[in-house]
Amino acid sequence: MNGSRYLSSERSSFIPQDTTGDAVTRAIVMQTVAGGQQQEDLVAAKNHAQWVANPPLPPNEWVDSKIYSDEGIFNEELEKIFKKVWIPVCHESELPNAYDFRTTTIAREPIVIVRGADNQIRAFLNVCPHRGMIVERRPAGSFLDGQPSGNPKRMTCMFHGWQYDMKGNCVFISREKEGYQDRLCKDDIGLRRLRCEVKFGGFVWVTLEDNPSVSLEDWAASAFSCLRKTLDAEPLEVFHYHKAIVNTNYKLWHDTNCEFYHDFMHYHNRVTGFNDAYFARKNEAFEHGHIIVGTFEVNYDKYEGFESRAELSFPHLPPNQWYMIDLFPGMNFNLRGSALRCDIVTPLGPNKVMIEFRGLGLKRDTPEERMTRINHHNSIWGPFGRNLHEDLIGVQGQGTTMLPGSEDRHILLGRHENQTIHDENGMRHYYSEWAKWMNRQASDPSKPYERPAAAAAE
Amino acid sequence: MADLTSGKGKPPALSTYSASQIGTNIMSWKRICGSGDIAVNSLEKFNVDGIDIVVANYGDGFRAFPPVCPHMEEPLAETGVLVRCVLTCTKHLWAWDLKTLELRGPAEKPLKTYEMKEEGGDIFAFIDQELVYDFDEEADDPDDDFFSKS
Repeated sequence: MNGSRYLSSERSSFIPQDTTGDAVTRAIVMQTVAGGQQQEDLVAAKNHAQWVANPPLPPNEWVDSKIYSDEGIFNEELEKIFKKVWIPVCHESELPNAYDFRTTTIAREPIVIVRGADNQIRAFLNVCPHRGMIVERRPAGSFLDGQPSGNPKRMTCMFHGWQYDMKGNCVFISREKEGYQDRLCKDDIGLRRLRCEVKFGGFVWVTLEDNPSVSLEDWAASAFSCLRKTLDAEPLEVFHYHKAIVNTNYKLWHDTNCEFYHDFMHYHNRVTGFNDAYFARKNEAFEHGHIIVGTFEVNYDKYEGFESRAELSFPHLPPNQWYMIDLFPGMNFNLRGSALRCDIVTPLGPNKVMIEFRGLGLKRDTPEERMTRINHHNSIWGPFGRNLHEDLIGVQGQGTTMLPGSEDRHILLGRHENQTIHDENGMRHYYSEWAKWMNRQASDPSKPYERPAAAAAE
Repeated sequence: MADLTSGKGKPPALSTYSASQIGTNIMSWKRICGSGDIAVNSLEKFNVDGIDIVVANYGDGFRAFPPVCPHMEEPLAETGVLVRCVLTCTKHLWAWDLKTLELRGPAEKPLKTYEMKEEGGDIFAFIDQELVYDFDEEADDPDDDFFSKS
């Protein structure tokens, strides 16, 4: 096992240990192979040459696991994708008052998002132009009050006391004249402002690209069209936040959000869902690599202890619907009738991703409604919910087999079921988009992107 | 009766005193604390009928002023240091001579003060309305074409 080199590390607990039975089975197969008497039609297990051979599917129906494990490809993804596209960074309800802020990162670049005195939300690189210090170190808070090293209504770099207003203008340089005379002044200095818009249900979107290839509206409007009326009907509010740092590649998390075939792992989804309406749910692809999985009515009362969520349905929706919107390159909006979940991924390394989970309800909820909504959200998606940990086990298990340096594997996404829920067209669509941004083929990243022939296109 | 000699924190609400007790016009002269309650070269913050003030003992007397620096609203009770009659806001070094109220260092605006007096071992400030500063509003610059500037 090539995983043996990790046995001395903390990861050793994740390496599956052979049971005696497995070891015996493998030994018999190896003997057969060594003796040259293998009969392929009778031996399902594979020798190494068979194991690494291409599957009997066209190249757009599998990817090379190098795209999940290679450090160089990871760094390239940050440059070519994450620094170029629109990323949702938080929800406007997390900055309810003037001078509220949140900090985050996109592609290793620290970012601060603030609500100004004029109620506008703006985003800046959270970097002082003086000596490269991070300006604001807290995850969230308010600039309204002074701090020992901060100032009311200003962003203050605590290192040398330079200060910026909520529009990113430099308003103070300590002992400016004494040190810079007339050679440099406040007007020469400012934070780097980033494009920032509030859209699609009040989410705050930022891009590091001053001149993005498409507007935010054009980037995601088609994917959001199924839920836009619902999400924009009235103000939403975040009621749940937690984050997980998982030893896996961010795309594996997104894959899990894009494919429902893994509902075989989710007992809850099987008993509340597996029926004709479930298998008819459409898996639709949209421009820019986004996909949605269409809705159906979930039978929550089929799962012991659960009940219908009809009374708290989001606006303009029939009862107990379940929509899923997956945005390239790794964001997910998941509406189960009464609660909206949003996953935002921040890739930290080829085998490490931070996933931020938010739960949202209607801002006007009464305390009782909010408690019910939180219960609906957390009983499935909370850190101790019915489904979320199963998804995390899935992607962490994949991460365990795809550590940097591990042997390249074929990861299959070749199911065709008339673009319904267990079709894997969503992932194929995603990797076709990934290939364009990266100029690499997902099935063989050493080769440049080739536009698929019209006949082969989905 | 509240302890008037500790000199720390907020004094009791003014309504707990009668006009004869404080011996002055209850509508505007407000007892702040005892004369010995604020150490020389120190600043204390008080709330007088809902109005925050800072009182400084500069050795030769007392000054009472709004709780924020006129520069950028820094909380003077925390950011101010008082040495040899000069109050300096340590955030950006605006400073004033508390005896003459002259501007010192890079200060560009005067310190607004409440009139004060000592009487019978107590200090009083004349507070008939809250003193406030006008702070610069952020410029309302139009955002069109911001990202295409070179």
